[in-house]
Amino acid sequence: MTTLLEEVPPPLAPVPGVAEALGRRRRRPGGRLYAALRWGGALVFGAVVVALVATLVSGSSQAFGHFGLSLLWSDHYSPAKDQYPTGVFIVGTLITTAVALVLAVVVGVATAAFLSELAPRVVAAPLSVAVDLIAAVPSIVVGLWGLLVLTPAFSHHVEPFLKTIPVLEWFFHGAALGPSMLLAGVVLAVMIVPTVVALSRSAMTAVAVADREAARALGATRWQVVRTAVIPGARTGIEASLTLAMGRAMGETIAVAMVIGNSYTVPHSLLAPGATLGSAIINNFGEAAPGLDRSSVVALVLVLVLITALVNVGGQLLLRARTRSARR
Amino acid sequence: MTVTAPPAPGAEEFTEPIGVRRRLVRQRARRSLVRRRLVSRGAVVVCALALAASLAPLVGLVAYTVGRGWHVLSGAFLTHEPTPPGVPGGGIANAIVGSVVLVALGAAMAVPVGVAAALFLLERRGRIAGALRFGADVLTGVPSIAIGIVAYGLLIAPGGLLSLGHYSGLSGSVALAVLMLPIVVRASESAMAAVPSELREAGLALGVRRSRVMRSVVLRSALPGLVTGNLLAVARAVGETAPLLFTAIGSQLFALNPLQPVAAMPLVIYNDGTQPFPAAQQIAWGTALVLLALVLVLSVAARAVAAFLNRRAR
Repeated sequence: MTTLLEEVPPPLAPVPGVAEALGRRRRRPGGRLYAALRWGGALVFGAVVVALVATLVSGSSQAFGHFGLSLLWSDHYSPAKDQYPTGVFIVGTLITTAVALVLAVVVGVATAAFLSELAPRVVAAPLSVAVDLIAAVPSIVVGLWGLLVLTPAFSHHVEPFLKTIPVLEWFFHGAALGPSMLLAGVVLAVMIVPTVVALSRSAMTAVAVADREAARALGATRWQVVRTAVIPGARTGIEASLTLAMGRAMGETIAVAMVIGNSYTVPHSLLAPGATLGSAIINNFGEAAPGLDRSSVVALVLVLVLITALVNVGGQLLLRARTRSARR
Repeated sequence: MTVTAPPAPGAEEFTEPIGVRRRLVRQRARRSLVRRRLVSRGAVVVCALALAASLAPLVGLVAYTVGRGWHVLSGAFLTHEPTPPGVPGGGIANAIVGSVVLVALGAAMAVPVGVAAALFLLERRGRIAGALRFGADVLTGVPSIAIGIVAYGLLIAPGGLLSLGHYSGLSGSVALAVLMLPIVVRASESAMAAVPSELREAGLALGVRRSRVMRSVVLRSALPGLVTGNLLAVARAVGETAPLLFTAIGSQLFALNPLQPVAAMPLVIYNDGTQPFPAAQQIAWGTALVLLALVLVLSVAARAVAAFLNRRAR
């Protein structure tokens, strides 16, 4: 009688000489061509990244030379002196991104939890595909909708309503014009929610079934399983999805430029029109005269790239940390 | 000074008869279970509402675009060139063809480079591969407007490295290619990394050359993933406006020469949609519908092709 254990074949030992044979093969012409191809791809790719950074740095050097580093926080707008209020744009970028995140985080993570844990599978599967497809809606279409549909709706209904809420009215004083930081934040939220949902959902489905079963065995209800096992287990993944969404919100330009109102003064209220780095670049680069003017706009691009790169690299590192700890 | 030990928690309960205590515990557990179940139900409802809240604006926006664009769509809209302002009629044939040309050229640049770079990342560990991966991370995060500005600086501005001296479709394609590149690299690498290493080792053990193993084993098994990743990159590029704004710049003519300005659908939406005239806004909605349909078809095709190839491989 054979036991199950005896039927398992012994593990394969590495075949001696394979490494040497591979080394020999690499020197053949086909192998050389293949190596050239790989190296070529890597080199072109590297060159693109280097060219990108180098162009921005050299393009903005004139502006940094002329205004110094104070360019980064200036709030002074003077078209005659080719000076842009970078500080105002940075504040505008941060405010609109914050509004978008506040709106998108709760809704997005709850949606992800629903799709991954709570909804019956018959409902969850098609809806997950729908979210993924909807994430592909081009930002220009969202912008068009924001400009032609949301702007009048905000100025006539939403913004006057917000001004009547007791405590929150502090954020919403000033005239209800329609184009505003708030509207830009809402449009951004609409754009980043699918990103948050898709990435958070995949982080949640990656949580081990055993963790869920353990919580269940301790008598947890379905919601308690989500709260005590799934969300803590998927935490790094969720955080990564949020940082990536944040990077996307910061870097979005065209839709924001269509709804933010493009005012270059320090905003005093969420209902006030403002400007972000992205919207300011779009609105000024076309008319900027070669020389200091254009260099100043390129400096805005460099600042934007630095901020978003910082956020995105952080998100990627988080995501990698998660996959690595999941593998362990 | 005497120290008296505090009474043990729950000690007074022992004074009650055992039966009473058991009933009390059961009652408490039941009450807690009822409460927890209620909370759980409530949380499920709240999460379902969140789903509705996150889908509603997007579904609404798609439905609205379809509703507005539907009236504009016609054979003439799809096959005619735009008319001068004030003249009724006209279409976006030049923008549709322009978008296709721009993205096709961009993909022709991004896909070979991206797949080759992914092969490199797949076979090499170490400092260079690490730097490249970091580069991919950085490039993914670079806002598309920045890519457009850089393409302008290199390919259009007088004094640029490869400057033509004027706006051109080619510079737009380059910008789109740079936009697609990190997506292609990332998707290709993960598709090829998913190919079991046993397959590769089996090929090598048979004495097949590395380049041949890559071509016949790795690339072929990873084909569904490669197609999906690349189609998704293309779908993303078709809808991008910012990289084209200062490069391809748009055109009223049926211009296919990539060395001249080329029209594109996102540019038409931006230029016509921001005008206060209803006629221009009509064109913007119609174009938005066509663009939306194209992106949707590409995204669905990406998944369908992968499913089809996967089934055939089995």
